[in-house]
Amino acid sequence: MDKIGLYSFTGCAGELLTILHSEDELLDFFGCAEVKFFLMAQSNNEEVNLDIALVEGSITTDEQTEKLRGLRARSKTLVAMGICACFGGIQAMRRGDGGWEKRFKKIYGEALLEVDKPFESQPLDALIKVDHYIPGCPMDKGQFFSALTRLLNGNPPSLYRFPVCNECKWRGNECLLLKNIPCLGPLTAGGCNAICPSYSLPCVGCWGPVEEANVASEYQLLQEKGFSGDVVTRRMKTFGGVRMAQLIKDVKKV
Amino acid sequence: MRVLKMQKENLMVFLESIRGFGELWGVVDKGNRFVFDKLDDLSDYDFKPRKPMIPPKLFMHPPKFSMFRFNEKGYEAELEEIPNRVIFGVLPCDIHGLLILDRLFGAEPPDPYYMKRREKTIILGLSCVPGDTCLAKATNTHVVEEGFDLFFSDLDDYYLVWVGSSKGDDLVRVQPDLFEEKLEYKDLEKFIEWKKDRDSCYPVDFDFTAMPDIMELSYNSPVWEKIGEKCLACGSCTMVCPTCNCYDVVDRLALGKFEGIRERHWDSCMYKEYSMVAVGHNFREARSQRLKLWYTHKLQGFIGQFGKPSCVGCGRCVETCPVDINVVTVAKALKGEPVEAFWNR
Repeated sequence: MDKIGLYSFTGCAGELLTILHSEDELLDFFGCAEVKFFLMAQSNNEEVNLDIALVEGSITTDEQTEKLRGLRARSKTLVAMGICACFGGIQAMRRGDGGWEKRFKKIYGEALLEVDKPFESQPLDALIKVDHYIPGCPMDKGQFFSALTRLLNGNPPSLYRFPVCNECKWRGNECLLLKNIPCLGPLTAGGCNAICPSYSLPCVGCWGPVEEANVASEYQLLQEKGFSGDVVTRRMKTFGGVRMAQLIKDVKKV
Repeated sequence: MRVLKMQKENLMVFLESIRGFGELWGVVDKGNRFVFDKLDDLSDYDFKPRKPMIPPKLFMHPPKFSMFRFNEKGYEAELEEIPNRVIFGVLPCDIHGLLILDRLFGAEPPDPYYMKRREKTIILGLSCVPGDTCLAKATNTHVVEEGFDLFFSDLDDYYLVWVGSSKGDDLVRVQPDLFEEKLEYKDLEKFIEWKKDRDSCYPVDFDFTAMPDIMELSYNSPVWEKIGEKCLACGSCTMVCPTCNCYDVVDRLALGKFEGIRERHWDSCMYKEYSMVAVGHNFREARSQRLKLWYTHKLQGFIGQFGKPSCVGCGRCVETCPVDINVVTVAKALKGEPVEAFWNR
């Protein structure tokens, strides 16, 4: 039986909670693999070599970096779960703007922190090699269990690679962009069952950018609809982390 | 084909009388959009023609469904739960769409998942008046001669009802006194007059003459790059298109068990992954290439193979694309006509 471990860094623990809240699957989950580390769920945790490490949260201190490197070294496969681990999370929304030290000081002042050298939020793959990504904020439990099952069978996860709009149309929703509502559906990875647009709320991009996000066109479209460049950029960067910061930079270069 | 007459007040009684044939569905107004919904209560229903945002393909080719369950012993198709359905208010353009899908899914070997649903669906067509974006006259899909069980033409005071299948005949026989067998010449004159009036009010009268040849000459047109730059690759045009039918297939394995389901869901040639093959090679890496594929398929390739375009002129892509990439703006641009559209700004 495969040995797996679930680890958490900086974030809200949304992914681990998503797993814990999957009552219907929990017995199968604990039965399908040897769960060696899952602080939130069990007391007899062991730091051992793993077949699969499932990691949530972004990296924000030297101490975490070291821990993550160690985890990588003793895991055959490492999976980033949730947008904090995949892209840096909400705490990376100002990436590329500069001034992190100033912002950090504004919040924490001169207080002595019990953390070893903090820095601006980094996704896991800025520091180590990540084998697979399960985006979401939090991730969808269906996608998680489907990915895990495939991994346990020796296959890579096969997640949806299309934007939110696909599932949005499956559900027969009217496009919010046509109603001048700043929906980020076309830029955002699908798999959430288009939950927000299904309640007439615009997508805020919480699953991070879809592979082929056409940021330039959406930017122009929203500006034509009367939204200022700053507002659009801020919306895109809220959940998009380093990946969105890079996409925006690429657009500005052109 | 038999044609009958029905007084308007009889329609509700008729639809109530055929409930035994299956769930009754129709297009309802949800405030911001028209959608297919079950018609459990007809007392408030107005029986007016409406174009649903998602065409009736969703009944035969659902957006997402389980094809079969499997385990280590074999598999079992999930075809038992499919309900019998009667769909009222299917518009001529959408019937043309279904006829195209019938041809594709019905070709050898026929697709059992589509065919089973098609078999269990009764189509009650309804004549329409064109909306702002309809171009069905330009695609010659504004009239329909097959593909329905009954077709109701609304002539203000009464309906002319064409019986298009033996199933349709069965429906009529439930309460034959709701129909008048004897048609007079003036009834058909009235229909011809109605059709003439109706045909004169199509707002989009686009000329598709020689479109396949124009497509052929447009292979290197700068239009493709231009629309490719602005396309959001959201795939909405393909989801709302009555003839788009591409799908992806995914196996969903149960955790820790030797069983699972095979899921089929709508896919779109506008997505990058669609044209990706093993080892990561992509035949249509650029959006412009994917758009070109879609338009050449609709307006050129299909004509060469089946003698007509696979655009049925419903105008849904015109209503749906947030950046104005649709069959009208693209065809116009390829013909060198001026186009006012987001993608052209």
